[in-house]
Amino acid sequence: MIQLLSGIQSTASALDAEHTRFDIVSQNIANAQVTHAADGGPYRRQQVVFESLLSGNTTGSNPNEVHTVKVSRIEKDTRPFREVFNKDHPDADARGMVRYPNVNVHEEMVDLIASSRAFEANLAVVKNARQMAQQAMAIGKR
Amino acid sequence: MIQALFSQTNYVATKKLLDATVLRHQAIASNLANVETPSYKRVDVAPTFQAELASALGSQDPSRISSLQPTVTLDPNAVASNRDGNSVKLEQELLAMNQNSVAHTLETQLVSGSLLKLRLAITGRG
Repeated sequence: MIQLLSGIQSTASALDAEHTRFDIVSQNIANAQVTHAADGGPYRRQQVVFESLLSGNTTGSNPNEVHTVKVSRIEKDTRPFREVFNKDHPDADARGMVRYPNVNVHEEMVDLIASSRAFEANLAVVKNARQMAQQAMAIGKR
Repeated sequence: MIQALFSQTNYVATKKLLDATVLRHQAIASNLANVETPSYKRVDVAPTFQAELASALGSQDPSRISSLQPTVTLDPNAVASNRDGNSVKLEQELLAMNQNSVAHTLETQLVSGSLLKLRLAITGRG
C-alpha cells in the first residue's frame, strides 16, 4: 500500500497510547477518594507503561528503524496508602484509621499536562505530513 | 531516448534529497511518537547519506546518484538527558520537523521547476 502521509503509523500509535494514558490518569483522579474499591480495599493508583516497537515497514536489505509505540501494560502503583484518622468512617479499621488511595492529585495533573503536550506534538506531525503530501501532489503544477 | 529528459544530475539529486526528506520526517514522527517511552533512542537519517550524495554529485553520474539509498539509523550523538534513558528532546524534534518541512517545500519546488522548464522547452510556452 502506498503511504501518502509519511510516518503516520508512528503518530497514530502514539496518539492511541497517549489516549490510553489520558484515560488512566482521569481514572486515578476520579477515584482519588475511593476507600472501598471492587477488591474491598482502597483504590490503588494505576500507571501506563509505554513500549516502542519496530514498525512493519522494514524492507529486507534496507531495515529502517522507524518505531511505533504501544501501551505494554498498565501497572498498579505499590506505594502505601494514605492513612487518615476518622473513627466514624464506615471503612475505618480497629485503630480508627481510614486508608485512602495512594493517588496524589498534583502528580496526576502534571502527568495530564505532559500527556496532553505529547498529544499536541504528534498532532503537529500529522499537520506537517499533510502539508508535505499536498506539496508532493502539486509537483509539476504551475 | 525519453529517459535522457529525466536523468539530468540535478534533477536526480533533488529527487534523492526529497526521498531523504520524507524519510527524515518518518524518523521525526517515530521520535515524537516515542517522546515518553522509557529507554527509546532517537533515530535519524544516516549521516553518511549526505557525504555519499556529495561524492556521487562530484562524479556527475546520474545512475550512481539514483542508486543511493537513504536509511534511518540510531542517532549516535543523542544522549539521554533524564534517568529513563530516553534521548528525545521535544523542542529539538519540533525544530527539526519545521526545518525539514521547509526543505521539503524547497525540494518540491526544485523538482517542479525542472519539469516546468522542460515543458517550456518542449512546447515553447510556460
